[in-house]
Amino acid sequence: MAAAISIQGLTKKYVDVWQKQEVIAVNNLNLEVEEGEIFGFLGRNGAGKTTTIKMLLGLIFPTAGDATLLGKPMGDNSVKNELAYLPEETYFYDSMTGWDILDYYARLFKIPEPERSRRVQICLEKVRLQPDAWKRNIRGYSKGMRQRTGIAQALINDPKLLFLDEPTSGLDPIAHAELRDIVASLKDEGKTVFLSSHQLADVELICSRVAIIHRGKLLKQGTIKELVAGDFAELVVQRRGLSDATLGKIKEIAPGTEPGSAENMRISVAEVEKINAIIDIVRGGGGSIISVVPHKRTLEDVFVETVRKEDGS
Amino acid sequence: MVPLAIARQTVREALRRRVMWIFLICGVFLIALGPVFGFLSPKDSQTVLRSLGLAAILLAGLFITIVTCIYLIPVEIERRTIYTILSKPVQRFEFVLGKFLGGFAVVFINIAAMGVVFLMMIRFQEGKVPVDMFKGVYLTFFQMLLLAALTIFFSTFATPVLNFFMSFGIFIVGNLGSVTDSLTTSRNGTARLAGTIIHYLLPNFSNFNIQNTLIHPAQEITNPDVFIRQNILYALIYSAVLLILAVIIFDRREV
Repeated sequence: MAAAISIQGLTKKYVDVWQKQEVIAVNNLNLEVEEGEIFGFLGRNGAGKTTTIKMLLGLIFPTAGDATLLGKPMGDNSVKNELAYLPEETYFYDSMTGWDILDYYARLFKIPEPERSRRVQICLEKVRLQPDAWKRNIRGYSKGMRQRTGIAQALINDPKLLFLDEPTSGLDPIAHAELRDIVASLKDEGKTVFLSSHQLADVELICSRVAIIHRGKLLKQGTIKELVAGDFAELVVQRRGLSDATLGKIKEIAPGTEPGSAENMRISVAEVEKINAIIDIVRGGGGSIISVVPHKRTLEDVFVETVRKEDGS
Repeated sequence: MVPLAIARQTVREALRRRVMWIFLICGVFLIALGPVFGFLSPKDSQTVLRSLGLAAILLAGLFITIVTCIYLIPVEIERRTIYTILSKPVQRFEFVLGKFLGGFAVVFINIAAMGVVFLMMIRFQEGKVPVDMFKGVYLTFFQMLLLAALTIFFSTFATPVLNFFMSFGIFIVGNLGSVTDSLTTSRNGTARLAGTIIHYLLPNFSNFNIQNTLIHPAQEITNPDVFIRQNILYALIYSAVLLILAVIIFDRREV
């Protein structure tokens, strides 16, 4: 499959002239996003996600590196006919109605009437904005309605590649689920979505691959399956009555065992054989197993582990 | 056409700004007061109406142009609406051109509105509208075209507050054409250099002020048609140069 986005060595440095400091917002980023996939771009606030998107869209300029979008160099105006961008906060002209805003953006794509009105209607229906709100001033829209309008404006040109920056942040649960489903449905239409989000549960649900960026550096990328591999079980064992020798044997099998409280200890192990061996050791040593709870690793676990490891904490 | 779509949107937004309406109402009010002041001085009623009307159009036009144009680009950056515009197939020059055309259209609407009221007042008082009065209105209009281009140029890199002072300051200095002209022949080398730079580099707004000749028929411009044509051409060329410079700067600006 062809690459919708191909990034090579993309770097953005800002220089603080007064303090003579250099801040590296994005550091030698290399990334490939295939056509037709929903790609999750994860990172903490200030990790460099929005800076990367803005460079790809030609809003800011890279210090080094290059990228292609749908086979054309980033910033190329002709490729923008196939692109869409939903910024983190959707800012609109408050004096306009939802319909007017979409009509304005359609004009920027030089879509003539009556096709323009048809596209506006299709997009507003697609994001499920109530028809009675279409011709209402956007000043009276709720956050969810504004976000729906934002996604509608991103769809006005029927784009092949969409950059969505936190499309579901700050929404109520119903609006959140609906917009997440709309984003997921874009894949069925063959569109490529570059999704920057903090909603890791959503990303895990709808993305095929993800990348984790931290302090401008790409730390990890892969399919969700690859990243969350390594389910484990947590055993809670009654500590009282276990000899030091028995505890030593347990620690040999599970070196990362947490001391826990004076009463109980928590042991995390991934392999079934090790779980059985620990159960045998505890029972042989006269102790009791309080619980064995299987744990499925989530994207959040992976994200937190990866970022903390990089931070050294 | 993309610049026209942006210009249309710019006009809609600008016409919502109350401050612009305040200046327009003040301008119209001053023009409408012309006949009243004329009654106070019956001998000079024609002069009072003409000078007050043209001065009101100039002053209101000046403030409308500056308060409209200084915000056009910065507000798009500040509200981040520019992200969704420039991520679409909109070239940066199209954006600057659209903003300029929109701002200029607002200035045109306002000056035209004040001009119509002014000419109606003259018709009411004098029973006819001398053709020369149109010249006064449309030269003010071209003066404001040049000021709009200057303000848009500054708005590509300066904050609105800084832009206000720079545009306003240059307008004042540009209206002191006779002073800067006299500096070009000064005996003091530094003053002569400064005068020459200011006189030839800054836009010469004073050339558009033909109020005196319109108000006082005794004063005449030799070959007025050529003079007016030259000034219009000057405004168009100078504005085009300012817009090209604005595009060059904005093309390199990160948003």
